[in-house]
Amino acid sequence: MKDEDVFTYLIGGKAGEGVKKAGTAATRFFLDLGRESFQMNDYQSLIRGGHNFSVVSTSTREVYSHHMEVDLIVNLDERSRDLHEEHLAKEGIMFYNSNDSGERDQGLGLPLDEMAEEYSKPDLIKGVAGIAVLAACTGMDKKGLEDMIKKEYSRGVEENLSFAKEVYKKVGENIDETFDLKKGKTHSTVITGNESLSLGAAAGGLDIYIGYPMTPASSILHFFATHRDDLNIMSIHPENEIAVANMAVGATVPGARVMVGSSGGGLALMEEAISLAGMTESPILFVLGSRPGPSTGVPTYTEQGDLHFALNQGHGEFPLIVSSPGCIEEAFHLSNMMLDLVWKYQTPGILLTEKHLCESSMSVDIDMKKFEEGVFKTEKADEDQDDYKRYEKTDHGISPLKYPPSDDLIKWNSYEHDEMGYTTEDPDMISEMHDKRREKNETLILDLKNINCVNEFGESTPIIFTYGSTTMSVREALISGDIDAKIVQPLFLNPFPFWELEEYIHEEVIVVEQSSTGQFASLLREKCRVKPKEVIRRYDGRPFEPARLAEKIEEAII
Amino acid sequence: MKMDEELSVESDVENTWCPGCGNFGILNAVKKAVERLESEGFHRSHLLISAGIGCHGKIFDYLNLSGLYSLHGRETATIQGMKFANPSLKVIAFGGDGNAYGEGLAHLIFAARRNSDITLIVHNNGNYALTTGQKSPTSIKGFKGPSTPDGSVEEPIDPLDVLLSSGAGFISRGYPGKMAHLTELIVEAVKHQGFSLVDVLQPCVTFNDTYEKYNELVEVLEEPAETRKEAVELLEKEESIPIGILYKEKMPVFNEKIYPEKNPMEDRMDEKERFEAVKKILEERR
Repeated sequence: MKDEDVFTYLIGGKAGEGVKKAGTAATRFFLDLGRESFQMNDYQSLIRGGHNFSVVSTSTREVYSHHMEVDLIVNLDERSRDLHEEHLAKEGIMFYNSNDSGERDQGLGLPLDEMAEEYSKPDLIKGVAGIAVLAACTGMDKKGLEDMIKKEYSRGVEENLSFAKEVYKKVGENIDETFDLKKGKTHSTVITGNESLSLGAAAGGLDIYIGYPMTPASSILHFFATHRDDLNIMSIHPENEIAVANMAVGATVPGARVMVGSSGGGLALMEEAISLAGMTESPILFVLGSRPGPSTGVPTYTEQGDLHFALNQGHGEFPLIVSSPGCIEEAFHLSNMMLDLVWKYQTPGILLTEKHLCESSMSVDIDMKKFEEGVFKTEKADEDQDDYKRYEKTDHGISPLKYPPSDDLIKWNSYEHDEMGYTTEDPDMISEMHDKRREKNETLILDLKNINCVNEFGESTPIIFTYGSTTMSVREALISGDIDAKIVQPLFLNPFPFWELEEYIHEEVIVVEQSSTGQFASLLREKCRVKPKEVIRRYDGRPFEPARLAEKIEEAII
Repeated sequence: MKMDEELSVESDVENTWCPGCGNFGILNAVKKAVERLESEGFHRSHLLISAGIGCHGKIFDYLNLSGLYSLHGRETATIQGMKFANPSLKVIAFGGDGNAYGEGLAHLIFAARRNSDITLIVHNNGNYALTTGQKSPTSIKGFKGPSTPDGSVEEPIDPLDVLLSSGAGFISRGYPGKMAHLTELIVEAVKHQGFSLVDVLQPCVTFNDTYEKYNELVEVLEEPAETRKEAVELLEKEESIPIGILYKEKMPVFNEKIYPEKNPMEDRMDEKERFEAVKKILEERR
């Protein structure tokens, strides 16, 4: 059933026609109205042609997902028209390109090819039509349209303005009514998940980002490369992921706070260095942006098939921190906190997320005041201490850090080592160092017990367990489906926060995840003995749609 | 523990190289080179080392110097990370021929072409000694080891040729049998701003004893070749093995190209500046 509080806009066409750009411009238009929005970009692994679409849902309330009952559809080509006809809401309006689709019964045709031909970039300019249609259909005046085009399409602005006005006029002649979008009261910012986690790390004092391109993590690398001078963060794109991870290990020795990012395939190549970081006690934050696997899988789509992969990274035994943000704003908080955590515990950490969060954007309101006083502090050695040992045994397992240049000998070692960092094969020392690393994990658990490791939304039954980007889908499904339920979302997946979940032991719960085998459900069975009575799974690369998910949840409740 | 006057720590750590191993010569040359650099005003507190895994890697434990004992073949990646983070430090990575020219060859090619300001010393003994003498990338064709009992069927690679064509600005070769010469090479390599390679012809007394061959064939070069092409020609000589600096060219270094005039460790923003920078980007998304 369509949610009446939500207005949804969709633009579809070929790659190279400015589809995503139009979606982003629409999102910013809604933001100017003080409305909240969520934008999901569906694109293929190709540069030209194919089919892309961008869908934006907006409301005066918070929106956690795009919807697929669309009020206004703009199809730039025939393929888009054929694909999205079924998504048109009952009272919705659909526009299509009459030059390549021919005249149709349903929807309003616009001769977009003919009109675009007059301009220097006839393919790219078509996306501007999407914004002109949106302006005309929401009752925006000509001045408003001009301002928006100038702001969003400043490159080649004269041509863009002329084309937009032509489309705007034609649409105005063809429609009787316009959508009435109520103004909202928020002053949010719109960012993607990748921008959010990057900014969170930047606020947390990131010094260096190292990455090798792989969807959906590439845009983190692009973000840091673009903002090098704004943020004072060095970004490096080396020869392969193995270099990425091993450079990161090296960079921590002089004390640089480093983050690296990739998808499953890239992380698989980094895995040896994750184990190395466990042994050398190198604090590195790894971002794992998941896409459907196994192997190359489906590069530009979403899945949660890497949960066990993330939890089991690295051969040997060492503390590994794994957490997963449940919305775009939380990605900022969590990357910020994870950077502090990996430094306090001098061990690798993985921020596990998915394409759906990485590359979707959402209106957020980030209060920087919250980050002024970090909770987790890096332990540094006294400057005047004269018997410094890199791996000094302490009662909590954490050895204070010292950075070169220094007159102290500071030796980090991938072999099992003694407190000084010299290689050892001594049986007592081997066990003691294992104990030291295990003690760090025990201290970490004590620390996590003082913070919120599990989010809960709602108070009633039934109980729905979910995590990561799927949390957004479940939240939106409950709001728009008007379903009473309680969502339980563990933010931390390793160490698993069982202490916050005792009340659910032996409870029957519903689990929602994007995995074909139900990895999250098995983790819950193992770690907190809940009984998943229904595991709602989706594994076709697409995120859940709130209306369909609401139906599935209702079926599960009965 | 403070770095003491003695550069080696043999009193604390047992040396487990075979008696007569070429690695002893390399260790001594490195110590002498560091002492020489210190006599010119440099201090070891500003030197970091890394090593791969194998017989060569044990040098990490035997040197009283800070750093990180890395993985097999990754020493070149690790050492670059250290240099990128703090370009005011000098860095030396030690690798074996299996590490540097096999498992991690890609890192060398890229370190050379980006001109990372690092020094790589390769203990090139033509076999995998610590794993009991298998063939390595520089083993001669026909080399017999436990994985190639009938002899290796692969042609050896010439890593110096590979790195010359990858744009390396400092290519040298030394021999522990010529200790003063090897010391001088290491000093020059560390002083060179940019990627520098010291390939060391290291006899392995147990699996590939080349002392006699090298004593007979090595020939000290008077001066480096003028061009890369000439340097490659030097490598093609059959009657002798030239040692010395084969090629030297000063070029801009990676840190300066990618992050000009900044040291990530020394030019950090304070918390207030950081928050302002983040807020500004958030404002732009409004």
